[in-house]
Amino acid sequence: MTPTHFTISSAFLLGLMGLAFHRTHLLSALLCLEAMMLALFIALSLWSLQLDATGYSTAPMLMLAFSACEASAGLALLVATARTHGTDHLQNLNLLQC
Amino acid sequence: MLKILIPTLFLLPTTWLTSSKWLWPTALTQSMLIALASLTWLNNSTDVGWATLNSYIATDPLSTPLLVLSCWLLPLMILASQNHLSSEPVNRQRMYITLLTTLQLFLILAFGATEMIMFYVMFEATLIPTLLVITRWGNQTERLNAGTYFLFYTLAGSLPLLVALLMLQNNAGTLSLLILPYTKPLLLTPFGSNIWWAACMIAFLVKMPLYGMHLWLPKAHVEAPVAGSMVLAAVLLKLGGYGMMRLMVMLEPLSKEMVYPFIVLALWGVIMTGSICLRQTDLKSLIAYSSVSHMGLVAGGILIQTPWGFTGALILMIAHGLASSALFCLANTNYERTHSRTMLLARGLQIALPLMTTWWFIASLANLALPPLPNLMGELMILTSLFNWSAWTLVLTGAGTLITAAYSLYMFLMSQRGPLPQHMLALPPSYTREHLLMALHLIPLLLIILKPALLWGWFA
Amino acid sequence: MNPFVLSILLLSLGLGTTLTFASSHWLLAWMGLEISTLAIIPLMAQHHHPRAVEATTKYFITQAAAAALILFASTTNAWITGQWDINFNLHAFPASLLTMALALKMGLAPVHFWLPEVLQGLDLTTGLILSTWQKLAPFILMCQIMPVNSSLITFLGIASTLVGGWGGLNQTQLRKILAYSSIAHLGWMVLVMQFNQQLALLALVIYIPMTFSTFMIFKTNSSTTMNTLAASWAKTPALTAITPLVLLSLGGLPPLSGFMPKWMILQELTKQDIPLTASVAALSALFSLYFYLRISYAMTLTISPNNLNATTPWRLQTTSSTLPLAISTTISAMLLPLAPATLALLSP
Repeated sequence: MTPTHFTISSAFLLGLMGLAFHRTHLLSALLCLEAMMLALFIALSLWSLQLDATGYSTAPMLMLAFSACEASAGLALLVATARTHGTDHLQNLNLLQC
Repeated sequence: MLKILIPTLFLLPTTWLTSSKWLWPTALTQSMLIALASLTWLNNSTDVGWATLNSYIATDPLSTPLLVLSCWLLPLMILASQNHLSSEPVNRQRMYITLLTTLQLFLILAFGATEMIMFYVMFEATLIPTLLVITRWGNQTERLNAGTYFLFYTLAGSLPLLVALLMLQNNAGTLSLLILPYTKPLLLTPFGSNIWWAACMIAFLVKMPLYGMHLWLPKAHVEAPVAGSMVLAAVLLKLGGYGMMRLMVMLEPLSKEMVYPFIVLALWGVIMTGSICLRQTDLKSLIAYSSVSHMGLVAGGILIQTPWGFTGALILMIAHGLASSALFCLANTNYERTHSRTMLLARGLQIALPLMTTWWFIASLANLALPPLPNLMGELMILTSLFNWSAWTLVLTGAGTLITAAYSLYMFLMSQRGPLPQHMLALPPSYTREHLLMALHLIPLLLIILKPALLWGWFA
Repeated sequence: MNPFVLSILLLSLGLGTTLTFASSHWLLAWMGLEISTLAIIPLMAQHHHPRAVEATTKYFITQAAAAALILFASTTNAWITGQWDINFNLHAFPASLLTMALALKMGLAPVHFWLPEVLQGLDLTTGLILSTWQKLAPFILMCQIMPVNSSLITFLGIASTLVGGWGGLNQTQLRKILAYSSIAHLGWMVLVMQFNQQLALLALVIYIPMTFSTFMIFKTNSSTTMNTLAASWAKTPALTAITPLVLLSLGGLPPLSGFMPKWMILQELTKQDIPLTASVAALSALFSLYFYLRISYAMTLTISPNNLNATTPWRLQTTSSTLPLAISTTISAMLLPLAPATLALLSP
């Protein structure tokens, strides 16, 4: 495992850990998702740079576009949750448990 | 085989297309014709034993009596259910007959199957119509509990059987009943082969039921409507005995040691369930426990695997099928008049329904195995073969026979003799339908003793 | 919802799944998964109701995390092996990661907790899409990476069948019960996937009509709890009579078609010489059967004299066509005699 690969992996895994264990605000969950996506963006671009694979240089852009869509969907849901539940605390998303 | 199967299948359109006025007579007539036609199976003249053979189904001397019995039961069930369904909407009556017909279809396919997996599928398939009959047409709320017990005891026993059969198939390459006795036995580790043996047997021992795994049976019998009780006692329990006899031949080298705990349980169960009958207040529950006790004898006879044991088991299965079904019908005639199963509330019925007492008398005698009846023949053969195996079993079987006589007498005296209670006013008289029903149960039972060779199975 | 918007959403749902089916490149497969996730989110949140929004949020977070994990695993694989092909043999670590990510996406046992809650918040049509169509893409991906790490897969399968049976026992909410049933069924499929993918596909193909008819039956009765189901005998008597068959078929009782995949899977497992796993899986099906049986008790086998606590359902003429429901109930009750034909249809 190269140092670059290690850095990217740990960045991604830190984001995942944050998503999984730091469950207070929906916004922080979305930020963690965004951090994961950015780590993946860097991983993809560095992969194509290191291998000089020009055919793959569009891949990070496509990925970034999708993650932007995802982030906007997430923000829309944040707004919707804030309107229906009155807050963005994840603790309050408890209507469906039983 | 198709001569019976296709008319049975066409009972379904008959049920749904006849006018409501003619529903019960047509269904009865057609099923009775099927039953009469099925008697031709008894004329088995082939040397190899297998007759009416095609690629999936066949009859042989072991399955023929059971097949004929299950065909014979359908008209009787239809006859017996007529009264208690008369208050229901006609579509539900049709649904009921449809369920009984499907049950018969599955039973014919189960007893006639020449492949173990097909037998297994049909063995399980009989659960669904029976479950629906018990839980939909039973009377008390406990019927749901009874249905759950019935389904889950049987399934928990028989799912390991499916895995065991599939293992056997991978090993032997076939599950055909015609070939399996000649294949090599399954080679596993000693522990694994013991588990395999148990998986093969326990499904049927639960269905039988063996004492200790019998708790579903009294519940199901007590809560089921009369047709459900009849078919459970007469045929469904026999699926267990039949399956055991079929599988026993393939379990050969293992069975010698493995059968001990099961024989002990079976014989102990004969005594225990007999004693339970002696202190029973519920009429249907008494008959149900007496079934468990008789089935314990059958299980013992099958498990020691001598020709006499097998023959006795088959005879007792058929005879008990007719006798206990008759007893359930009689219990139902009481129930329809008094709306209670408690024996204390329906005493001294000889005064009210004198002819019924005759039927009670014959059926009780059949249950306690009086000399000319085939019940005695079966019991004697099982007793003899068990005695031959170990003299000490006579203590258990002898005591069991005594207790059987005691509780049959108790049941008869309790329900028929003595003064009529004050609260029983204006009992409807017994109908010709009910007498016909009893006659159709007991006349075959009396006739069989003239040619018992029909029930001797493989060793005729 | 506006029909144009609806058609665009449904078409993108189809596009996403098809893209995943057709791709041999991990990035494209990931894009397909993302498209179908993004397309179903407006469908889920179309009723602006707290429960629907909450379910959508939960669904979004798990799916986004799972998708990111898939992409991370495939990138790691590319860093290690230099390959993006799906069919190429994966390195062991990314393979396990991918398996877990796909399990999260489908809702297999140790990572199943989102599924019952999400399904509980949706209306029945969207729930049907979620528990059938949305499973297809991850399922196909899982089939394609399959010859990896058999103990992990067996663990996932057994855990799912057990949890799927165990979790539904205490439920009265039909959608949660269906979610647990979906977990259990997916467990069976995953269990056999490493040995024989045709059988996994067969199980899926049988599972879809059974689930379709169950959801449709509940939709026809417009009921989401067992209590309201008890009033269905007055509304649709014929359907009420058939429902136990569908439910018991879902539970895998012979001779209904739900028994076919179970039988074949057990046969394959014994052929692979793991009869113990087979027995555990078979017995865990009993748990599921118990709650199916309870639904049939509540719906058909007892007739409640009044409408219990539920408001009386309107007995309107059904305007939607009942033909699909009729076909799917027939399929889910009577396919067992056609087992050889169905197997032949699915084998390559």
